[in-house]
Parts: sequence; C-alpha cells; structure tokens
Amino acid sequence: MKSTISNLTRRRLLASGLAAPFVSAMPGVLTPARANETVKLQFMYPVGVSGDINTIISNMIAEFNATHDGIEVEAIYAGSYDNTEQKVITALGVGEPPALWLPINSSLQTFLGLDALEDITEQAKADDIYDDFIGGFLDTAVSEDRLYGLSFQPSTPVLYYNKDAYAEAGIEKAPETWDELFQAAKALTVRDGDALKRWGLIIGGGWHDWMFEGYCRQNGLVPWEADKVLWDRPESVEALEFWKAMVDAGCMAPASTWQGSANDFMAGSTAMLYHSTGSLTNLRTSSPFEVGVAFMPKRKQFGASQGGGPIMIAKNQSDAKKEASWTFARWMTNTENQAAWSRATGYLAVRKSSWEQPEMVEYLKEVPQAEVAMKQSEFSGAFLQVPAYSRARDTLKSAIDRTLAGEVAPEAALKDATAEVNREIARVMRRRG
Amino acid sequence: MSDATHPAPVPAVSRPAPRPRWRKLARQNALHLLMAPLALLWLSPLIWILVTSLKTNTEVFDQAAGFLPASPKFSNYPSTLSVAPFGTYLINSVIVTATILACQLVTITLAAYAFARLTFPGKGLLFTLFLLQVMFPIYAIFLTNFVTLREMGLVNTIPAMIVPFVASGYGTFMLRQSFRQVPSELSDAARLDGCGHMAILWHVYLPLVKPTLIAFGIISVVTHWNDYMWPLLVTNSEGIRTLPIGLGLLAKADSGADWPRLMAGTTIVVSPLLILFVIFQRRFIDSFMHTGVK
Repeated sequence: MKSTISNLTRRRLLASGLAAPFVSAMPGVLTPARANETVKLQFMYPVGVSGDINTIISNMIAEFNATHDGIEVEAIYAGSYDNTEQKVITALGVGEPPALWLPINSSLQTFLGLDALEDITEQAKADDIYDDFIGGFLDTAVSEDRLYGLSFQPSTPVLYYNKDAYAEAGIEKAPETWDELFQAAKALTVRDGDALKRWGLIIGGGWHDWMFEGYCRQNGLVPWEADKVLWDRPESVEALEFWKAMVDAGCMAPASTWQGSANDFMAGSTAMLYHSTGSLTNLRTSSPFEVGVAFMPKRKQFGASQGGGPIMIAKNQSDAKKEASWTFARWMTNTENQAAWSRATGYLAVRKSSWEQPEMVEYLKEVPQAEVAMKQSEFSGAFLQVPAYSRARDTLKSAIDRTLAGEVAPEAALKDATAEVNREIARVMRRRG
Repeated sequence: MSDATHPAPVPAVSRPAPRPRWRKLARQNALHLLMAPLALLWLSPLIWILVTSLKTNTEVFDQAAGFLPASPKFSNYPSTLSVAPFGTYLINSVIVTATILACQLVTITLAAYAFARLTFPGKGLLFTLFLLQVMFPIYAIFLTNFVTLREMGLVNTIPAMIVPFVASGYGTFMLRQSFRQVPSELSDAARLDGCGHMAILWHVYLPLVKPTLIAFGIISVVTHWNDYMWPLLVTNSEGIRTLPIGLGLLAKADSGADWPRLMAGTTIVVSPLLILFVIFQRRFIDSFMHTGVK
C-alpha cells in the first residue's frame, strides 16, 4: 500500500523527464487495455570511462523509449561499479530491485547468492545470442551452464606503450613474452644519477589484481574456481616473483593508482602501462605522443581477464517486466548499438556481426589499436567470479602491495591471502546455506 | 582568510615621499607584506583550477607546455555543462544543505538545553543514546535508514536527503557542553525577571554560544555539501540530485579523471560559494570578533 503511494510520486517526477513525449503519444498506438499498462523499468548503470558516457547511455535509452511502445526505461546513473552494486543490493534488501542493472562481471556469484538474477538461457538460445556473441564475452555471465546476463561493456587490460620512447631506446616492436617485457622495461627506464626520470613499466594500481590474474592465465592457471581461489599454486607464485624481480631491478613502479598511472603515462613518466582497453580513447587523444597498443606479453600462452559487465535482469519482478527487460537488454546489445557504443567509448563490441559493420571496419582502419584488444579477447575469460569477490580482491591487492614493498616473500604472501580468502568464502557460503 | 578583499590603505604614491613618511608607510604596511604571499598561497589552488579548466587534455600532462594554456579553451565550460545539469544540482545542493542546517540548529538547541539545564527521569540514559548515535558510522545504518524512508514514501525525493540528518547527536553534545559553561547565575537572574525557558534560551544562552553555533554550522554545511554516497543511494532522477554526483561523473572514471572538465565543473561549483563569502565576508568575521571579544 505504501509503496504504491511512493511509486505515484516517483512516476510523476519521471514523467516530466525523458518519457513525456512518449507517454503522451501512447493511447493512439496501443489497445486501451495495454495503454494503461506501460511497463516501467528502472536501469541502474555505472559510468566507467568518462562523463560523456552518461550522455551516450541516456541518449540510447531515450531512443529505445521512443521506438518501443509499452515500455518505458528510466536511466539511473549509480556512480562507480562499487556504488552501483551497493545501490542495487540496498534496493534488493527492501524487495524492490531495479528491473535491470549493469554491475562488474565479478559480482555474478554475489548476486546469484542473493537469488537476484533471472535465468535467461532459454531466451538467449531461442535468439542468436549464443551464435553471435564472442565466446569469451558470453562466458562472463555464465554460471553452471546457465546464462544470467548479456555482456554489454567488456574490457581487458592491454599493454600501452609510448612510441616516441621506443624509438629513442631503439626498440622496434612491442614485447611478446615476459622476458622481452623485462628487457624492454630495463632499456626504457631513465635515471639521472639516483633520480628516476622515467619508469620502464607501470601496472595500473587499484586494478592490479586484475592484471595479476592475467599473468596467472598467461602462466597457464585460472586462479579461482566457483568456491575457492588458487593463488597459492606455483604458476601464480611465479607470476608474483616475476613482478618482484622487475621492481627489484628498478624498472617497474612498486605501486601506483588507477588514475595516477594513466596520468603518468600521458606525462611521459612511464614508457609502458598496463591499463584497461576502456582507457584507449582517453590515452590516445590526451597523450602528446603516439600511443601503441599490444597484447599483454605471454609466458606459456596469451591470457587476460575480462573487466566490464553484463546487463542483468532481476528475478523478483512480474513476468511482464521480465519480458520487457529482456527486450531492452537485447536491444542494448544488438549489432548496430554495440558497434556504435564500441566506437564511442573504446569498450569492445560483444557481437561478431558488430565488428563486420562498415562503420566499424572504417573505424579500425583509423584506429588500428582498437583491434588489438578485440583479438586479445580470444584468450580471455571471466574475472574472479567467487562469492565475496570484493573482499578477495582487497586481500590479493594488499598481498601484492606488501610483496612489492619488500615486506613479505611472494609465496608466503599468496599463501596467507589464499587461506584468508578461502575461509571467508566458506563462511559466506555457509551463511547462505 | 586573506586580506585580498580587505580595503587596503590608499598608498601615498601621488605625494612626494620624504624619508620618515616612507618609513611610516612601510611600518603601516608591514602586515601586508607578510599577508600578500600568504594570500597568494591560499589563492594558488583556485588559480590552478581556473588555469587547468581552460587547457586541452594534452596540455594538462605535457611537461613541455607552459603554466598558462596556449590558447584558452572556453568550450570546456559548455561541454562540462552538457555532461550533467549542474544548475539544477547546485539549486538542490543549496536547498538540501540549508534545510539540514536550519533544522539541526533548532533541534540541537532545544535538545542541548534540555540535557544541560533540565532534570527529568532517564536523562542520563537518553544522553548516552545520543552519544551512541555519534559513534555509529553512517554507512552502518544506510540500509535501515533506507527502509524507513521507503515506508515514509520518501525515496527519490529531496526530503530523503534531509530527513535522516535533521537531528545531530554530535551537535547536541557540542552545544550541551557550551551551555553548561554559561554561569547559571545568568539564567537565574533571567528567571527572576520573569523569563520562561524559551526566553532564557533566546536571550541568555544563544547569544553566548554563537561561536559554537557557527563552528557547528560550518562543519554541518561542509559535510552535507560534499556528501556523495547517501544522495546517490536514495535518488534516481536527475532533477533532484546534488552537485557531488555531477562532479563524480567527471572524476570517477576508469580511464583517469577528465581534468580540464573536472576543473571547469569545480569552478562552476565553487563560484557561488566564493561570491557569497566575499559579499558576506565582513559579516562573518564581525560575528566571530563580536562573540570572541565578549
């Protein structure tokens, strides 16, 4: 009873916004019975790349509303990925979840644990999702062979490099293996006596656990399973030892921040940078030199973990809403929209057919760097999809930081972190019953 | 703050300046010599914000580029305004912050008076509860606050950002301590003159604790002006959101902050406050001086 009252005021506020022209045009279009029953959906999304994305998403949603009678989507900006997750979980807590939301893919098990997600496997199979989505991207929303979301804005880390610095140091091509990376980083580091002028390599902090998982994959290990993390395996320890060796050699920064590392790269304070593909447009247009993009170097194989997220649909809502939600999620990820979205943001289009669009082919000719990330996605998989992933990420980051700062040995750090996180995961799963 | 807007004594440049006069002038302005660099230090972040807001993205990090932009890029401003409706956000921020402060001043004054000067059963227990409220971090009660607001039908309205903050345990505690320092002879005298509680509060206590009220006001305004998480949580529509959410759009990017536009946004956000302060500066400082001297 109370919620109906609150809904009325909320809707009234809404009506003044993007939906106004659409609502007024409705009665003539629809049968009277359905005209009263416009399905209203809330869609909560984060803004990961830059302020303009907010405008792009709002425009996409306005276009959807204008072209779909009987459905009205309210676009709700919800801060960063973490903020968005908090907002959605709060709404779930009071039993009024938004119809759809866009979290980071690592949160899949968290939301499944809350029994919040609609299984969309059947709809997807009846549609062309399984045929046309690039496999690695589809997998980020799969748990036990069931699909719980449509990948919308995937990204992976890539290696960015300063082409001017490369020319200066006489390096002709980007490193392909860890050893070559080490050599290049040494050659690119510039010191004036004791004072450091330029790092050879910075691994974007704040998400360095994400890059680290890439290193594990390159060394032949996916460092987690549905109910535990495997950071104490030799492959993983070896990866951290490699980082430590680069730091000890003085060619890799022991710590950085996410935004600071991008700024350092643009300012020429580092010659190479591991950062998200989502940063491509910004790094390319804001650097006063030419920016090169390459696969993250391999050990046994190429490998990367997917960042970015899928659009998820709430389970706790009416069938009409679920159906409308599916229509919306499907529309956001259709061929044309994904191609346009990818060009505008630097995120990777999820559909094979998007990459074959004429505008996309044209774009790749202009910005060949964009293709690198797409090709790397062939070697990529989901990122740390365990319960309590947020705690797990913090623990791993702290273990890496302490190792690189020289406080603890790589193996001991990873062993402790693994034990701690696996205890936490077990606790969460027990509580869930 | 600084002496930037302080009316400086008219320098005697037009007059012929014999030595003693020059000395007198130097002595009179010695303070200014000290204050001018300090003022510059205070102003430097503001100047930096302004300069950065006119640069191109490339210039911000190019070490070869000068301090000033090669050619000022004023288009950063319209392009910032297109990201989010900053005007609406500004109005909402003012409404929310001002209403919270107004309500808090009323509630904490009455509560603090009761705790400081009245005796009633359960006073000690109640006061402990108030102090407990200070100890709970706001994040711990987000969900319960959210549930309460939803039952009141207030989610996604401007009052949702105000209601949880109309009372302040911290403010009550602060003011109670100040009230207790007021000699009880004063209120006894007022009572003999026939004043009730309200009149005593208004004529005796409040004038004496003005500095505390102002200090609390500043803390409250700064806290709620900058609050990000709670407004983000309880609002959905653009039309009722506040400034930090708009700035968050520019600052909290995966790809690194969009500095020129973030600084343009910051300029837009702080200008009204700065202008207000400059206009009312004398009054602000007077009120501090006044109460201080007393």
